[in-house]
Amino acid sequence: MSNASQELIEIDIRGQICPSCLLTTLREVNQRQAELKAGEVSLRVKTDSRDATSTIPAAVGNMGYPVTVEKREGYYLILIDGRPREGAAQGGAMT
Amino acid sequence: MPDHPYVLIGLASFLLGSAAGFVMHRSDFCIAGMFRDLFLFRDRFMLRMLVLAVVASMILFEAARLMGMLSPYPFPLLGPPSLANLVGGLLFGMGMVLAGGCVIGTLYKMGSGSLLGALAFAGLIAGSTVYADIDPGWSALVAATTVFPGKVTIPEFVGVSPVLLVTPVAMAASLLLLRWYRQDRWQRRSAAEGYLQPWKAALALALIGMLSYVLVGMPLGITTSYAKIGAYIENAVAPEHVGDLAYFHAEPLIYRPPLSDVTVRGGAGPVLDGIAAIQFPLILGIVLGAACSAVMLREFRIYWRVPLRQCVSAVIGGVVMGVAARMAPACNVWHLLGGVPILAAQSILFVIGMVPGAWLGSRLLTRLVLRA
Repeated sequence: MSNASQELIEIDIRGQICPSCLLTTLREVNQRQAELKAGEVSLRVKTDSRDATSTIPAAVGNMGYPVTVEKREGYYLILIDGRPREGAAQGGAMT
Repeated sequence: MPDHPYVLIGLASFLLGSAAGFVMHRSDFCIAGMFRDLFLFRDRFMLRMLVLAVVASMILFEAARLMGMLSPYPFPLLGPPSLANLVGGLLFGMGMVLAGGCVIGTLYKMGSGSLLGALAFAGLIAGSTVYADIDPGWSALVAATTVFPGKVTIPEFVGVSPVLLVTPVAMAASLLLLRWYRQDRWQRRSAAEGYLQPWKAALALALIGMLSYVLVGMPLGITTSYAKIGAYIENAVAPEHVGDLAYFHAEPLIYRPPLSDVTVRGGAGPVLDGIAAIQFPLILGIVLGAACSAVMLREFRIYWRVPLRQCVSAVIGGVVMGVAARMAPACNVWHLLGGVPILAAQSILFVIGMVPGAWLGSRLLTRLVLRA
């Protein structure tokens, strides 16, 4: 289980009204809190909102999750990584 | 051969609009978003940048006025304050949040490929056109609640030169801005390619507004021409009805542009007049400026799969904005970056109404549109 690949959850909010980007992402992050912290899932948010590339990393980063932003063809990909903890034999061990 | 000012007016408007559209796209300078994010996320960053834009405009306008470059002053299409400004502002604030963007926000988003922007734009035209039918009643309300008739700006009410009021206001606001600067609250991290820090956009918009005033005779304004576009459309299907509507025959714009001896007139009717000469190129400029910005970043793309609720919200928000902009009269950019800098009472009232309107719009947005 510790080396199983993470589940990638994709959230495609391209074309949507601006606050939807941050609200939808925050909702997803909150719902998947435990799994994110355990490194079992990571979120991939697809957005065409330039504003979101600023607000999402700021908000989610403040919650303690590593966030990276990559530019793709015509949109941005925001990766919220629930990084698995290296060396943990059982999930959930706090380093 | 009469020298017609339409060429200078049209060209200046187009170029200034292009610059505005480009700059706003690069920095996400969406005024609707500023208020909405305040209420939804307690994020005040962009509002600080709006304060910067307003204060910079105030200083630039007054400097230009003192150098004799602003004619006429106050600029046309401003009137004495009334209840209409508050109510119009309230409705406008609500509409802009539901639409996902204010008047210019809608244009630059549409220019970069946003379907919601296009829907809001359609709503704006519809709302602006429908207003003509309620204009008689609304004008009566305006007349009944007008105060300080014949006076437009606070310096005029008080009977002093504008510089005596603008200076302390600008100084106090500048101190606040300086404090924010020292707290490093003028910059924001963004991973967006080609991101332009909003403080630069704020200063650019202030300069654009001033240049518009100097060259065209007024700062940026758009929404009267939405009624005009609607009038053209309505005229094609119901010309008798359009003929009956006084609003489409009025010519509230009568002025002499800078650098010209010709009197320019205009209104909301389906004719190519002064309003068309000023605003059509401006609208086109903003859309093309934003489109260029998006294309250069390879970000121009139209996404069609948008939740129906958001589409409906965009149209309804646009309609509400359109009606409100005719009621107020005028839109947020005209008031925030035009009227407030010269301390026009109508504009101050509009902004006072817009804030709770945006709060209401944010509540409706999260309860009805996004929680679906």
